[in-house]
This record gives sequence, structure tokens and C-alpha cells, in this order.
Amino acid sequence: MRPDPLYARYPFLDAARAAVQAADISPPRLVTEGDPAVDRARERVERALMSGTVAPETPERWSDRDELLSYPIARILVSLVDVPAAVEKYADAEAETAFERLRTDFAADDAELRSVSTPRADLSTFLDEFDLDGAVRRVADERGGSAPDAFRVDVTAYLRLADPDWGADWRLVNRDLADGAVPVATDELHRLLREAVRRRVASGLPFEVRGSTGGDALAAALDDDVTALRDRLAERERLPSVETVTPERFPPCIQALLDRADGDLPAHSAFAVTAFLVSLGLDADAIAERWPGLDDGNLSYRATVLADDGGGGSQYPAPSCATMQTFGDCVNPDERCETIDHPRRYYAAAVAAAERSTSDD
Amino acid sequence: MDRRTRNYLSGRFGDYYRSADPALPPAPERREWGHIPWTSGSTTMVRHQSIYDLGDVADFLQREAPRHVYFSAARYDDPGAGSMDDKGWQGADLVFDLDADHLPGVDPEAVTYAEMLAACKDALCRLLDLLETDFGFEDVTVVFSGGRGYHVHVRDDGVADLDSAARREVVDYVRAVDLDVEGLVRTRAVGGATRRELRTGGGWGRRTHHRLRSFVTDVRDLPADEATERLTAFDGIGEGRAETLLDAFVDNERAVERGNVEAGGPGARRLVEALAAETVAAETAPIDEPVTTDTRRLIRLPGTLHGGSGLVVRRLDRDEIDDFDPLVDAVPERFTRRSVRVAVTDPGTVELDGDTFTVDAGEQTVPECVAVFLMTRGRARKVKE
Repeated sequence: MRPDPLYARYPFLDAARAAVQAADISPPRLVTEGDPAVDRARERVERALMSGTVAPETPERWSDRDELLSYPIARILVSLVDVPAAVEKYADAEAETAFERLRTDFAADDAELRSVSTPRADLSTFLDEFDLDGAVRRVADERGGSAPDAFRVDVTAYLRLADPDWGADWRLVNRDLADGAVPVATDELHRLLREAVRRRVASGLPFEVRGSTGGDALAAALDDDVTALRDRLAERERLPSVETVTPERFPPCIQALLDRADGDLPAHSAFAVTAFLVSLGLDADAIAERWPGLDDGNLSYRATVLADDGGGGSQYPAPSCATMQTFGDCVNPDERCETIDHPRRYYAAAVAAAERSTSDD
Repeated sequence: MDRRTRNYLSGRFGDYYRSADPALPPAPERREWGHIPWTSGSTTMVRHQSIYDLGDVADFLQREAPRHVYFSAARYDDPGAGSMDDKGWQGADLVFDLDADHLPGVDPEAVTYAEMLAACKDALCRLLDLLETDFGFEDVTVVFSGGRGYHVHVRDDGVADLDSAARREVVDYVRAVDLDVEGLVRTRAVGGATRRELRTGGGWGRRTHHRLRSFVTDVRDLPADEATERLTAFDGIGEGRAETLLDAFVDNERAVERGNVEAGGPGARRLVEALAAETVAAETAPIDEPVTTDTRRLIRLPGTLHGGSGLVVRRLDRDEIDDFDPLVDAVPERFTRRSVRVAVTDPGTVELDGDTFTVDAGEQTVPECVAVFLMTRGRARKVKE
């Protein structure tokens, strides 16, 4: 099987799935034969859960075939892990990776740097893929990609994809809605496509793998992998709890947001920094007292919602490094950042290191 | 409500339905149907019915003559299933409810029913302007609710599968909830420099821009001292800022047209913010949020009678709205032909069918529509003719 290299980069495309089906490849056999696609699938899920990406660590190790086939196997793994957080993280990581690749591809497209060796996705293919071809219109090429109204998106399509929690700028009430269409900038359109990918990946997950002879055999063959992934996930879920509040040990991203906070942080940034502080056990009053710049009128609402754990772990956990990166809030990373995937881990490590150094004294 | 009154109303509702044939919504077999019967005076709704449970709808209405009749905004795989989870939701019309009870600045105790309904119709026109101009909706059905307000059903492609959160965004837009007024002016790079511009392309920015333009047109025609006075009436605009604004806007039509507020100086921001507040106050519509965000809501069937007024739940064509007077045009013609005898327990003035009736307490003969209105509202009971 020599698949279209585009499918290797975007294995959730309908055509990619059709190619897998046409190749008549049996996942159970791949698993029992120890096919490299299975190794890649394992990495795919593990990286998704741990690092928020599904891109391989060593791309040269895998063929296009491995990449393509690893996607359906990864879906089987995620279904077997069968934890809601795993499905969410996995879908988000697939979307994030696709989003990064798309941005690269579209940028290459714009600059007419199309390389013959690397097939690039183009925007119209992607709009078509998600039934958005009729709902999105390019407005003005001449104004360039950064124009706030480079595209117009039908309001119903916009409402389906945009999440008000992304920030005040995404709220319909703050958009230039006219004649049934919402003007969006190019990078905003990419964000909407990222959401479309996330939903595509999440839909149908988890599915029932067991129940047939082949399915049972598959589940048995993958049992060790599933257990390992569950353990890794549980370990990741247990964010260290740090009772002390020592701002000078906060990660650089949080410090930068606190430095910038003067009442008009973008909503996602205000959310991120408040969530971080709430996770340390601070309430709105304590936050307002120490960082008056965060007290923008919504602080107490935000802090209350964030602190409401609904009985089963925080409903809105503090954002991970991957999320901070997506929103451009990951700034000035230092050496410690290389070793962690969550601002709270950074802080826990920094506090622990400081305690070690004091007790050594 | 006593038995004689109930029997009378149920009989007359049945008579109405013998000559009325309410138009069904699209895909009636996919809707859930509900009604409240006259029997036992209860207000319990019979719901979770499919249209097959009713049989022929016209026949059902004649036979049962219900007090209230509803259908679901949603479409289901199995609308007759007993629990919402088993119905299999397929999508729902986007529905809006304007109720005179919820109009800001209208005290239901202090104004008449007619005044309340008029205020509600103004709100309806604002809602329709938002739905048509901004949202670009075309499949819009307007209905007088038969009670205190209006319903609007939107069935354009793409609205059916919007979830509750998306519908809340529509509500917030219509009510300008969480509008970022400061964000209406944005800074744009123009040839190496930056310029502050009011957003004119759409949304609440465009609406504020329209108001700014007409404000400037008004001010332009005024003598200089009056123009200054108009401007200094706004918070944060003194004589100095007013002068800058007059120089920038009144003398430079192009700048205003393009939304360029740079030349207006610091006063321009104050002016835009004040006009934005006026725009919001004058152009939002106070729709009832839960009706729009609840994707499984039942809503009155147009063409049926409202059991709390005896008025027709009346579908209105777009060009009918301006002249529509609910207290005349929604009175069932059948109830205007004769007078009947009732015992009034809660006297007062009733405006109906183009007339004003001052009704005293005690037994008397009144036009039937007035009698039905009073009885359905629990203000009178039927007595022997």
C-alpha cells in the first residue's frame, strides 16, 4: 500500500478512511504481526495524552503507510482506554497537530512555495471536507490574510464551530454580523477548521471494540498497551498540589500574564491565569488583593466558576502548556519548561527544587 | 372555573374549530404535540403525543376543543416517545418569544392591555430588523401569541441543528448582552500610521455608526451654539472636545461615513460610547431567553385559540404587521355575532373588537367576545340566558 502522502498528514479525511478501507487491512493482523503502524499508533495516543500533539518524535522512522494506518488503530486504542478525558485529549491533540500542519500548508500556498515533493492541503479541499464550501467565502485577496474580514462565514456555520469560551472576541455579539455572515480573519478561519477537525475526530469515540471474535482478540492483544496508557493518563491527571503561593516560582507564562494584567487581558488569558491561581486554592478576594490588575469586574464570577468542582475534579482545569501555546500565552519558556507539560507541574517542580535547596543548607 | 362556564367555553371553542383549519407546521409528523383540555379545570398538559395519536388534527380540534394547543419547535425520530431522551432529537426551529410582561419600562400594572401589546409590537419590529438585516434570515414566521405577545419561528437552512449554547449566542446578540462597547472602535494600520475606526461593516458597530451619522446630520443643521450644546450634553464632552468633534465630523462628512474617529480626539470615544448605549437601548429586543435556548420547547399552534383570552393565535404576513391590531384582528369572527349573559366577578374596562367596554360587577349581557375574554381570564362566569 502506497497511500497519498496527504492522507498520512491528515488521516481523518474521508478519502483517507476510504483508502484504508479499500486496502482491506485488518487491524487485528497488524497487531498480532507487530506492524510498525501499531507502534506508531501507540506513540500517537501516548503523545496525544502526554504532550497534546500526535506528531511523531522521529518522523523519519515512519512511512506514509504507517502514519495513515496508525490513525484507525489509535482510535481503537483510545476506545479501549475508554476514559472521557482520554477521548477529549486525543481529539484535541489530533486537531492541534492538523491545525499546525494546515497553517504551514496554507502559508506555503499563499507564498506560492508549493513544493512538489510535499503535498500541501489547500483551503478549498478542507472547506469542502467539512461541508463548509458553501458557508465560507473569501472576501478580499488584495487586503491580505491579516484583514479582519478576509473571509465571511455563514452565521449558522460560525455558531456551530465557534466556542464562546474562546474569549469575548469570539462572542457573536462582538462580531460584525451582516446579511447572515460573520467576517473572520484568516487565522480565525483556521481556528474554526481546527474545531471542525476536533469534532470529526471525537465523533464516534469511544466505540465498542469488543463483542466479536476479532474485536475480542484485538482487545486482548492490545491489553498491555491500554493498561500502560491508562496509567500514564492517571499519572498525568494527578497534578501536584502545591499549597504555598510563591509568585516568584510561577512559570514564566503565568508571570508574564500577571505582569500584563491591568484589567484588559484577553478573556482566554484572564481565564488561564485565574484558573492557575484558583488551582492553588486562592479565591477571588485573595486574587484581587494580590493582583488588582486581574480584578476586571468578572474576576469573582470567573473564580467562582473555576473553583466549582461539581464533586468530581475541577470542571475547568487550569490550561496545559499545549493550550497556552495555542492561545499565544506561552512566553519566555526556560529550561524547566522543557521538562513539563503543565504550568502547575512547572510550579510544583520549582517549589520542590527551592525546598530542596533550603533543606540542604 | 365552574362547570357551566367550562362547558360553555369548550362548546364555543369547538364551534370555532368547526370552521377553522389551522395550518400545520412543516413536518408535523416529526413534532411532539401537546394540549391542555378544559376538563376538570386542570392545567395539566397532555404531551408526548405524535400527530398519529391525535388523528386528523382538524378533527381532533373539533372533537376535543382543547383550552390550549401546542407543538414542538423540535423534530424527533419518535415524537410520541414518553421521555425526551427516547424521542431522538433531530433539530429544532429557532424560536423567539416576546412577552409584554418582560418589556423593560412597561409596568403591566400601570398600562392597559392595548398599550402593552403596542409596546410589544415595537419590540417585535426591532427583533425582525435584527433577524433580517443582521442574521439575514428569510424563512421567518411571525405569530401573535393570543396572549401578551408575539412568537417568531425561524426555519432557515442551518438553524435546526444549533445547540442550546449556539442559540444563547443568538439571544445575547439580539439583547446586546456582553457587548464590548470599547471594542466597537478598533485601531487599524493605515500606511505606517494607526487610525481609530468605528466598525462599520456589521453588528452593533454598524448600528452605532448609523446612529452617529444621523446624529452628525442633525447637528450639522443646527446653529453653532446649539450644536455645541447637543455635544456637551454627553458625559465627558466639554466645550473643548465639542469643538474638536464639530471640526472633525461636521466639516468632514467622509470621515464620519468611513467611521474614522481619529480626528475627533478623545471626545470621539465618549460620543461613540454614548451613542452605542443609545443604540442598544433603542434597537435590542427583550426576548425571553429560555424559550429560545430550550431546544425541546412546545409552542402554541397558529390558528388555535388561546384559552386564557379567547383570542386567535394568529399567523401574520410580513406586510400585515404594521396595521395589525391584536384586539381587533385576533378576535374570532364567530364570537362577534351575538351577546351572552355572564356574572362578572372582576369588573373593569375591556378593549376589544374596536370598542371599549366598561364592565360592572354582577350579571349582565355583553358581546360574546368580551364574555369569552372575561371568562377565560377568570373574571366572569356563565349564567343562564
